[in-house]
Amino acid sequence: MSILSIILIIVAAVFFPGIIGMMKSLVVGRKMPSIFQPLFDVIRLFKKGSIYSTTTSFVFRLAPLVYFATVFASMLFLPIAGERGLLTFDNDLVFFAYMLALGKFFMIIAAMDTGSGFEGMGANREALYSMLVEPAFFITMGSLALFTGYTSFYDLFTSVQINTDFSYIIGISGVYVLIFIAMVENSRLPVDDPRTHLELTMVHEVMVLDYSGFDLGLIHITSWIKFSIYTTLISNFLLPVDWPLGFQIACFFLIQAVVAGVMGLLESFRARNKLDKNPQWILMLSAIAIVTFLATLIIAEKIVLN
Amino acid sequence: MDVLIFKIAVLLSFTLFFVPQKARHLVTLLLVGTLAVVTSYWAVQSFMSVEVWEKNLMYLVDHPVNIIIDKLSAFFILVINLTVITGTLYSKGYLKPYTTLKTSQEMAWHYFNLLWLHSSMLMVVMFRDALAFLIIWELMSLASFFLVIFESEKKETIRIGIQYLIQMHIGLLFILIAFVVAAVQSGAPFSFDGLEVYFSTHSPFGLFLLFFMGFGIKAGFVPLHTWLPHAHPAAPSHVSGIMSGVMIKLGIYGILRVLTYIHTDLMMIGIFILLVSLVTGVLGVTIAIVQRDVKKLLAYSSIENIGIIGIGIGLGVVGMAADIHVLAALGFAGGLLHILNHSLFKSLLFYTSGNVYQQTHTRNIDYLGGLHGKMPRTTVLFLVGSLAICGLPPFNGFVSEFLIYSGLFKSLQGAELFPVIFILLGIVGLAVIGGLAVFCFTKVFSTIFLGTSRSDHTVHSAEVSKSMLFPLWLIGLLILFIGCAPFLLMRPLADIVYVFTGHTQLITSMGHSMTNMCIASGVLVAVVGLLWLLRSRVQKNKVIQHNVTWGCAYTGANAAVHQYSSASYADNIRQLAPGVVGVKKEYKHFEETEIFPSPRSFDTLSSDIFEDHLITKPANKLLKGMARIAVFQTGKTQHYLLYALVFLIVILLLTLVNWI
Amino acid sequence: MDYILIILYAVSLVYFAVAERMSKFVVILSMQGFILFGVVFFSLNEIEIFDFVFILTETILVKAMLIPWFMNRVRKHNQLKRVHEPYIPVFYSIIIVILSLGASFLLSNNLQNAQLHTKFFTVALASVMFGIYFIVVHRNIFSHVVGYLIIENGIFLFSLAVGSQMPLMVNLAVLLDVVMGVLVLGIFINRIGDTFHSVEIKNLSELKD
Repeated sequence: MSILSIILIIVAAVFFPGIIGMMKSLVVGRKMPSIFQPLFDVIRLFKKGSIYSTTTSFVFRLAPLVYFATVFASMLFLPIAGERGLLTFDNDLVFFAYMLALGKFFMIIAAMDTGSGFEGMGANREALYSMLVEPAFFITMGSLALFTGYTSFYDLFTSVQINTDFSYIIGISGVYVLIFIAMVENSRLPVDDPRTHLELTMVHEVMVLDYSGFDLGLIHITSWIKFSIYTTLISNFLLPVDWPLGFQIACFFLIQAVVAGVMGLLESFRARNKLDKNPQWILMLSAIAIVTFLATLIIAEKIVLN
Repeated sequence: MDVLIFKIAVLLSFTLFFVPQKARHLVTLLLVGTLAVVTSYWAVQSFMSVEVWEKNLMYLVDHPVNIIIDKLSAFFILVINLTVITGTLYSKGYLKPYTTLKTSQEMAWHYFNLLWLHSSMLMVVMFRDALAFLIIWELMSLASFFLVIFESEKKETIRIGIQYLIQMHIGLLFILIAFVVAAVQSGAPFSFDGLEVYFSTHSPFGLFLLFFMGFGIKAGFVPLHTWLPHAHPAAPSHVSGIMSGVMIKLGIYGILRVLTYIHTDLMMIGIFILLVSLVTGVLGVTIAIVQRDVKKLLAYSSIENIGIIGIGIGLGVVGMAADIHVLAALGFAGGLLHILNHSLFKSLLFYTSGNVYQQTHTRNIDYLGGLHGKMPRTTVLFLVGSLAICGLPPFNGFVSEFLIYSGLFKSLQGAELFPVIFILLGIVGLAVIGGLAVFCFTKVFSTIFLGTSRSDHTVHSAEVSKSMLFPLWLIGLLILFIGCAPFLLMRPLADIVYVFTGHTQLITSMGHSMTNMCIASGVLVAVVGLLWLLRSRVQKNKVIQHNVTWGCAYTGANAAVHQYSSASYADNIRQLAPGVVGVKKEYKHFEETEIFPSPRSFDTLSSDIFEDHLITKPANKLLKGMARIAVFQTGKTQHYLLYALVFLIVILLLTLVNWI
Repeated sequence: MDYILIILYAVSLVYFAVAERMSKFVVILSMQGFILFGVVFFSLNEIEIFDFVFILTETILVKAMLIPWFMNRVRKHNQLKRVHEPYIPVFYSIIIVILSLGASFLLSNNLQNAQLHTKFFTVALASVMFGIYFIVVHRNIFSHVVGYLIIENGIFLFSLAVGSQMPLMVNLAVLLDVVMGVLVLGIFINRIGDTFHSVEIKNLSELKD
């Protein structure tokens, strides 16, 4: 029944951007678009032809496929509703992180492939931010591994529920850091504004400036699934595994909708950081992750305080 | 019998001076191959049996010199042979343009040194007797020195070669002093095995530090690394590949060999190695990012990978000291596997950059660009090397880093507070190094091969000859093989790690994770293939156009000028760590009254801060001090006779006063 | 429960390292006041009832409301917006605050004293160290007052860690110290801002006459 996790994640991914768009227009006072609007946009893209730049090489054509494939393959490790992922193994969280890094590597070189200064800007900012956010992810997972003694996603999440009084501290700070990591990895505010029209201020949008048609549709779908993956991780922190399966699935969708709504709210009220303040903002995530690790050391009684 | 073959093959190297130029490469290849086959046969025998393989090689002034191959030496023998064979295969095409520029004797001398480098590297890992070891170590340094100064018509090269030789001798001095101290203070024989006696009676940390300084200069730990970024670019590419691939690992071999005899005081040693390696890894890759000479960048990247190997070994020693079996076994396993992996992908990267250098005659990546059209196979090979060095699945770099990460995460819960701090440092360090490596290699790959050409250097480039590409495909296949089927290597790795610590069943039990990883990589490739087919089906009836890159309607200067250069790509990192990278920007400001600006130039120069502060500045001060004393050296014989007279008078007076 | 508040206090120190706007400093200061109120509330079995009520009012009234309100007034009067570039970039300040937190956690692990409540000692020491660092790297008098208040919060935590003996006297003295200091500095800044139009240290050091 582990194929269930893949189906659930894909279904949630389809609705996710729709909810964000609806929340944003609700706040501003516009008429809300349909929840399927992003899906219609992507289908329209698939029906179009493509223009390829003459400067590009096989890398440009290969990159969106590799990006999608890495995100798809990383879905295979996630547990959901207490079921193990399809390919769970010890320390699969390392494989997960490096798999996503492979996708990012290809997107960065594909951006440089076009030989345009715009894409170069986006590429090197993206490389810096993803470098800075890696330690935060690993330290958070390290705190969990310290607390539970396991190392695969499935084992970590099922045993963190086995509660002492303090596991909710780890849960809450883990969720807090993960939400911010999700915002950085998916290029949302306050690191990158997906709505800006100025290429000089873009990070992710400008990397895909020269893509069109099938490739662009694939990239959009990939970023939805990536977001959905991070929200699945968050829901694993929050949902206890001993609830009945149907109830868990319903709560899973509820959490996805809530997170999407919160993203929409954040995007409506917050401005993007000044670009040269982004590195220190991202470093702050690692700092909070280290504070979580210190807290876990206290809880695991390696640091003895009275 | 096989020892005889070995000796004959080494001695036959002298015939290289007498064969005609056309046959020289073939002869070298045959001799290298013979040495490789013989020693690999011994290595495999050592792996198969439980005891150590031992035979006598020769007698040095009636002192027996024995070949002793345990599993650690066997591993190094196989790594050395692999890289030297690919290097020799590659050198045929690479040295072809030089056959017209150099005399026949110079080429013979080069091949001769290549052969001696190979045999001396093999003998370094096979000897335990200290005198033989030191002699062979010296021979290795000399052989590599002559190989480095191959392009001796450039003045720079000779200066760099001499600097390299001096630093190697300083390393030799440290090792010699360490051996002598051990032999004198413990009375044991003058050999590696004699160290065991010393370490059991004295505190090992001091002597270990001496050995670390000596072997660390060879390996390239910070701050002992200053010769690396000069020697590797100056040497021809096949030599750089061999040096970076295996020769610097012999420094690690020395450290590992000394570690096998140490059984006390391990915590301090482990923490020392770990901290030095963390600094080495992070600094190495940070300085690599701002370089624009491709081989200098690869040299700094080698320093970073030595840091990663050191992190694995340091964590292994910490695990041994704190009795955390998982950390000990997997740390050593990851470090040792990274030695093999690094020799593969670093030599691949050096050879492909040699391809680029041969076609474009420049190492400055700011003059290159858009080479994917002219050199497609080289592009693919460089891409494979870059992906492997960043530690991305499904290539081999990921497997060694995965082993180290597994050791780290698994040991978190069981460990006490003191080791947990270092485990956390290890996790953060590896994550940061991995991220910075991605930054570095996306920069290099895209600046050289993608986009449009930035100057005319690439106009006459074409793909290189098949003989140069063949060894590269071989290495690429091996990289993929180790990345996709790592479970085959777990058993041999476990046997090698057993030399250091027990509980190696933890390594073989990684097989389950490895199989799942293999399946996941297979899924990845399958999905990519499926999507490619899907896309061609979907796009069959659609309009596919080809046009220039979107430039926001700016039709001004030529496309090459718009692109990101290597300095602009690296500027982010330079701003974050200005003190470390030592980059100075030289340009003239615009004056307020300058309404029509005159032509300007902008230059970024990077210098190694360790070299500046540890070598150049003290050396300059020393020279200035010496210049003052040089006043006495007037060149006139009469003055020197005056000094002799003064000395005689002083001695006379002192004797009269009864002081002497 | 008090562990959660200690961790929240540590996170607020990290936010101090990241923050660059004056108004954000004041907000975080009042948050720290509320956290300290929570900390005292949950240690209720340690102190006598009268002292307890007094400390409660001190934290919630003075630290969490009165002083931030006053600082806000000073800020608005002088129209202070952002912090000018500190001597050490924010990127490295974050690393330093984490190192100081780590060091104080490790140090308190090694202190074995039955009379010392080490759980407060951790963030107290980190707070004092960070407050001093804060004053050293920022260029602006307002930031210096904020740094002084961080140190005072640290000292408050020290008093909780060390003693159940006479917390009243200690706290009364500290309270007087803080209130007088902030009042005087605030008035001082207002007057300087009015006549001199700048609150940078560089310019003020040249005021020798």
